[in-house]
Amino acid sequence: MLTALILADSRFPGGGHVHSGGLEEAAARGLVVDEPSLRSFLHGRLLTAGLLAAGFAAAAARGEDLAVLDAELDARTPSPAQREASRAQGRGMLRAARRAWPSARLAALPAAPHQPLVIGVLVGEPYEAALTCAYLAVSGPASAAVRLLGLDPFGVNAIVARLEVEEVAARACEELPALGSPALDLLAEAHVRREGVRLFGS
Amino acid sequence: MKASARLVVSLDPHGNSVVRVLRSQSPLTLVPHRRAGPVALVHLVSSVTAPLGGDALELTVEVGPGAALDLRGVAATLMLPGPTGAPSSSLVRFTVEGSVRYLPEPTVVTGRAHHTSVVEAELDGHAQLRTREVLVLGRTGEAPGTLATTMRATRCGKPLLHQQLVVGGTAADASPAGLAGKRVVGTELLLDDVPRARDGGEWWSVVPLAAGGTLATAMGDDVVTVTNVLDAI
Repeated sequence: MLTALILADSRFPGGGHVHSGGLEEAAARGLVVDEPSLRSFLHGRLLTAGLLAAGFAAAAARGEDLAVLDAELDARTPSPAQREASRAQGRGMLRAARRAWPSARLAALPAAPHQPLVIGVLVGEPYEAALTCAYLAVSGPASAAVRLLGLDPFGVNAIVARLEVEEVAARACEELPALGSPALDLLAEAHVRREGVRLFGS
Repeated sequence: MKASARLVVSLDPHGNSVVRVLRSQSPLTLVPHRRAGPVALVHLVSSVTAPLGGDALELTVEVGPGAALDLRGVAATLMLPGPTGAPSSSLVRFTVEGSVRYLPEPTVVTGRAHHTSVVEAELDGHAQLRTREVLVLGRTGEAPGTLATTMRATRCGKPLLHQQLVVGGTAADASPAGLAGKRVVGTELLLDDVPRARDGGEWWSVVPLAAGGTLATAMGDDVVTVTNVLDAI
């Protein structure tokens, strides 16, 4: 449980703070401008990308074959920008984790693994791993919204607290999900092509 | 209505792709074209209004080494509710050692429809597949029913693409991280060894998949806008 708390803490030095999960592109297009549109964005992200990531974290925590999971998650992530963002965050988390929680299973991960697999291996309990992953799928974009749009932090926090993160984590433990989000894929690809100043890596 | 249909295409000694097995079962009616050539053309005709709630439809397609199949729809599919509210399902399974183009017409998810659609494709080392799916969320002015559509493609057992899309029934349809309020979503999957440039616009992209192949995705408010993007790949 403590490992899950540390990984979900925004002060964990895994480099997750440079990723907005598509929020920066959505904000740049005026698709997210206020608390209601942010709630809609986070809700959609939780039910698609959040469920998918949480399912793979749970499977890794159950001890399933990491190479198989890596290939299956690649197949469920058609956007190269999304694959790169997931692996960049996995690499950052792995760097910090190798010092804090060295293990044979952690050492078996590739240099840039998908982040949900790292979370699953570290947390080791399927539901807690899924919950950590589902929460991170919305907490990063939520804090990005505060920075990019100047939204009220209390209001944004209340939105995150009311999202059905626990229900999604429980569903993620049932079977390996394959839910895609075409809009998130298109936002991620457009973010990479966007010229000019970008505050976030995704 | 429960129906299963089967289609087997193989290469004959003259280099023609020939339909060896053609088993239709209404509403899945397969209409082959009587012309000899390197590509067998078969139209998939819905000979009864389908799918209605309660229907379970299954189509199995096998294409042998060196053979090529063009499997096309003739009209848009309307997914409709049945009398009992029971869900409907469809399963299309491809086993490809040659080449397949599967190009059904758009699917309209009408109000109160409740459908599960699965397309599975297993390719051998050199097989090729091109397949398209265009979904329309409801007829004009109509909120869609629910649809869960899944595509899983593997090559020699290894996953190339596995995507599920769920429309209707959740707030994710309107979410900028779901379907962004768009009425039409289209994808075109190309599994071959042709390299294509990664490209995109505001509501479309063409991307290379991790284990080979290309996926084009387009979203829009009408079918023409979306299919224009897919036609251009």
